[in-house]
Amino acid sequence: MAKINTAGVDTERVKERLDEHKTKMKLSLKACAHCTLCAESCFLYMARDKDPKYTPSYKFLNSIGLLYKKKGMVDKVTLGEIRDNVWERCALCTRCYCPLGINIPEMIALARSICREQGVYPRFDRE
Amino acid sequence: MVKSKRKPVEEIKNSITDYSRILTVGCGGCASVCLAGGQREVNELNAELNVAFRADKQSKKLGSYTVERQCNMQFLIELDGKVKDYDCIVSMACGAGVQLMAERFPTVPVFPAVNTVSIGVDREIGMYEEKCRACGECVLAYTGGICPVTRCAKGVFNGPCGGTNRGKCEISQDIPCAWLDIYERLKSQNRLNDIMKLQEPMQWKNQVQRTTVQEPYEKRYYR
Repeated sequence: MAKINTAGVDTERVKERLDEHKTKMKLSLKACAHCTLCAESCFLYMARDKDPKYTPSYKFLNSIGLLYKKKGMVDKVTLGEIRDNVWERCALCTRCYCPLGINIPEMIALARSICREQGVYPRFDRE
Repeated sequence: MVKSKRKPVEEIKNSITDYSRILTVGCGGCASVCLAGGQREVNELNAELNVAFRADKQSKKLGSYTVERQCNMQFLIELDGKVKDYDCIVSMACGAGVQLMAERFPTVPVFPAVNTVSIGVDREIGMYEEKCRACGECVLAYTGGICPVTRCAKGVFNGPCGGTNRGKCEISQDIPCAWLDIYERLKSQNRLNDIMKLQEPMQWKNQVQRTTVQEPYEKRYYR
C-alpha cells in the first residue's frame, strides 16, 4: 500500500478532534442509509441539476466519513478535496433534512473545523 | 452580506486588559468573507495582542477558535467545553454574533473586536460598498434598483431634494445625487412614471427590535 504523504498535516490533532466527537460521528455514519432523501432539501443540489456531488449525504460521507475511515491519516490533497465538499458545495444553510435524524450540518461544521485547524479553508483575499 | 471592520488593537486591548485568559473567537460567515473576523484575522489579532501585552509586561493566555457562524446557536455549542478555561471572550463577529455569544455565555464577558458597518457588496478584494440599511420598507421596485435610503444623504423617499446640484449632492461634490441616478435609471428603462408615484414617509419612530418570521412558519410561532 502506498504511503500517505501527511506532510503539513497534524494527523495526531485530526485524530484527537475525531475522537472528541467519536460517538456521535460513528452513530451518524452508521445511520446513513444512503436513501438520498436529503438531496432535495439542498437548494444547491436542486440548482446544480441534481448533481449527486451536492447531495448532503455525499458531502457528509466524503468529509467527516473520509476522515473517520482514514483515522485522521490524510494528506493536504485529501483535505483540499474535503474543503471543496464542505465549503464549495455547501453553504451550511442548515436546511438539509435527514429522515433518520442525522444532524448533517453539525457533521459538515465539524469537518470544516478540522480543515480550518490544519490551515485548509477558503481564502477570500485571493482571486 | 454584513460588512464589518476590525477595531484598532489598542481599543480591543483596553477592553480586555483586566482579564488574563482571553479566547478570541472568529466567525466563518460574513466576517470571514469581508476579511475582518475569520480564522486568519483571529490569528493576526492574537499576534498583535501578544505583542501589545508584552510591551506592557503583561502575561496573558490567548486562545483562538473559529466557529462556522456566530449568529446561529447551533454553531456556538462547540464552544461550551472551551469557554470554561477563559476569563473573557473577544468576538470577531458582527453585532448579532457578539450578542448571541453573550447570550450563550451570560457569565462570561464578551467583547467585540470589529465594528459592524453595513449590508453591502464586494467591489474588490478587501473593498466593500454599502447597499442596504435594512429599513424594512424596500422601495427598490420604484427607484430602479437604487436605494434612496442608503444612497441619499437625507434618505428621502420622494426626490430629488432642492440640494441636488449638477448631478452631485449638496453635502459634497464627491457624492453623486442618488435621485439623479434613480431618474437616469428609470428613464433608460422607460419607467419615469415610477418616480411620480409618491411613497409614504417611513415610520422611523417607535421602532422596536424586529423579529422575522417567514409566512409558512407563522402558525408555528404566532397564535
